[in-house]
Amino acid sequence: MKINIDKLFQNKIKELKVTPPYGVWSSIETKLKRRRMLRFFGVSFVSLMSFMFLFSHAEKIVTTDLQKNTTTKQLVKEDPANKFSIVPEVKTTKKVSLFVSDKSKEGHLKLTSTQKISSPKNSRKLSSNYKKQESVKEESFQKVITNTVFEKKLKKFDYSVNNLDSLKKIKKKDLKKKRKELVKKNDAIDSIKFEKDKRKRWNIIPVLGVSNSGRFSKNTTTLGSQRAVTYPEKYFDDNQSSGLISNILGFNIVFRATNRISIQTGIISKELRFITEGLFLTEFIPDVNPTNIVYNPGVEVRFTNTPEIGGAYSESTSLTQTIVYMEMPFELKYRMFGNLKFNTNFIGGFSFLYLNKNEIRAKSNLLSRSIGKADNILTTSLSVNLGLDIEYHLSKRFVFNSAFMFKKHYNTYLNYGNEAAPYTIGMHAGIGYKF
Amino acid sequence: MSAQAEIYKLFADKLFRVCLKYSKNYQDAQDTLQDSFLMIFKDIKKFKHKGSFEGWAKRVTVNVALQKFRDKSVLQFDAMEDSNISEEDVFVDVDEKNISLDFLLSLIKELPPKYQVVFNLYILDRYSHQEISELLKISTGTSKSNLSRARKILQEKINNSTNKSL
Repeated sequence: MKINIDKLFQNKIKELKVTPPYGVWSSIETKLKRRRMLRFFGVSFVSLMSFMFLFSHAEKIVTTDLQKNTTTKQLVKEDPANKFSIVPEVKTTKKVSLFVSDKSKEGHLKLTSTQKISSPKNSRKLSSNYKKQESVKEESFQKVITNTVFEKKLKKFDYSVNNLDSLKKIKKKDLKKKRKELVKKNDAIDSIKFEKDKRKRWNIIPVLGVSNSGRFSKNTTTLGSQRAVTYPEKYFDDNQSSGLISNILGFNIVFRATNRISIQTGIISKELRFITEGLFLTEFIPDVNPTNIVYNPGVEVRFTNTPEIGGAYSESTSLTQTIVYMEMPFELKYRMFGNLKFNTNFIGGFSFLYLNKNEIRAKSNLLSRSIGKADNILTTSLSVNLGLDIEYHLSKRFVFNSAFMFKKHYNTYLNYGNEAAPYTIGMHAGIGYKF
Repeated sequence: MSAQAEIYKLFADKLFRVCLKYSKNYQDAQDTLQDSFLMIFKDIKKFKHKGSFEGWAKRVTVNVALQKFRDKSVLQFDAMEDSNISEEDVFVDVDEKNISLDFLLSLIKELPPKYQVVFNLYILDRYSHQEISELLKISTGTSKSNLSRARKILQEKINNSTNKSL
């Protein structure tokens, strides 16, 4: 039988099934370890020196920023028109931990080969003498065979139909298994890439974004709880208070600890704004105005939530409360989807918040100015942070990052519970530098 | 198990098959496989997820195997070979079931290295003549000519062996 020589080789080579002996992996592993050791000794000294330099440099920036704030606030304190407190000195300490991956041994490996065995052919001969006599018998015999074959096929079909669900399940299991293997394979590739990319484990990402604030408690303004004279059942706290869009500005520093986990910190200026509407302006009623406002010198007017009090008043007054925190987050990022080029991370952690600005502005048809500050906001507080972010590595050095964050504040007010403490929902983005 | 061990486990068999085709013997194939994996782990950053990882790993293995040929200086192509190009299909009169894989592999290994490499690349690993010419730094004509000669030699040897067995 003539056969194309190309096809002969191509067909036969498919039968080649071999497994390399275990010794190959052992020697690869030994060489890899040796290479890693050499690289470690060569690079570790230089890396250590550069990290130390970067750490000391970053610490200087933080200290300078805080010193600037302190100086500014001390200057403010000297101004008799204001009553801000002095900023205490803050010291930051940082710890870096290194992770070393485990190595395990390769399993037993076999050498196998396959061979095909051709099956013998069967033949049947009929005697011509009995042809006529047997023809009738043969016909009936054929019928029986046909019926039997048909019945068998029918049974097989019934069996297939009945077992369709189980077949589906098996197929699904196979698909799941294959998907798992693929994920495992990609993960392994990413791990090695990560090992190779170790020298660029730090990112510094400028953060620019917006957030909106809210409270879980019902419409409380947190500006005071004085009861109205004309409407004794009405308290100032009952007034509608809602969050306003505010800005987020700062930078994050990210350390990629492993292929999947990163640690994130930074310094962010975070603004929270609340507006309280439906107020009235008055000159004479000091006992129904919000109790938690410390008025600036020269502010003679007060506010009420009832229109019938005597004196001149405006019907459209609102108070906007602005709180700005210096935020220092400590967050863990876990890579859920994607690869080292483009990925999605789950973020969880907490933030230290330091009160940087506390202001209440009034706006009506008579005035629009800063009238004072709230006296019930604590200087330091905390927030618990949850979020999702995406990372797209634009090049070896630059990475685009965008995050969607939910942050619940705790220990915000002096005389209100954590239910009244605000939460923020924000989104920020930035292009980071890897080093 | 480390990621590298995982990759080895997934691809060792397939890449060893490639190594066996391009190596003189089993021991050489093991050495090629070892060097190929070291090269794959070193250059894994260069894999840009364009195409399959297996395809990329096979190319690395083929390159390592070819480098071994070059190191031994056995891969010298003659530019004058361009004139002997025959692109006709070559047939052998045998029963495929009666021919063993080991026999065919031994025939490939008996070929002169330059024919062996081109035959392996074109027939078994499905490279095009253009790709072979770029890989081996030869003209497409030389690649075609070497393939044609390899086919003729193999045809002759297979026919001889079947005649003997008859």
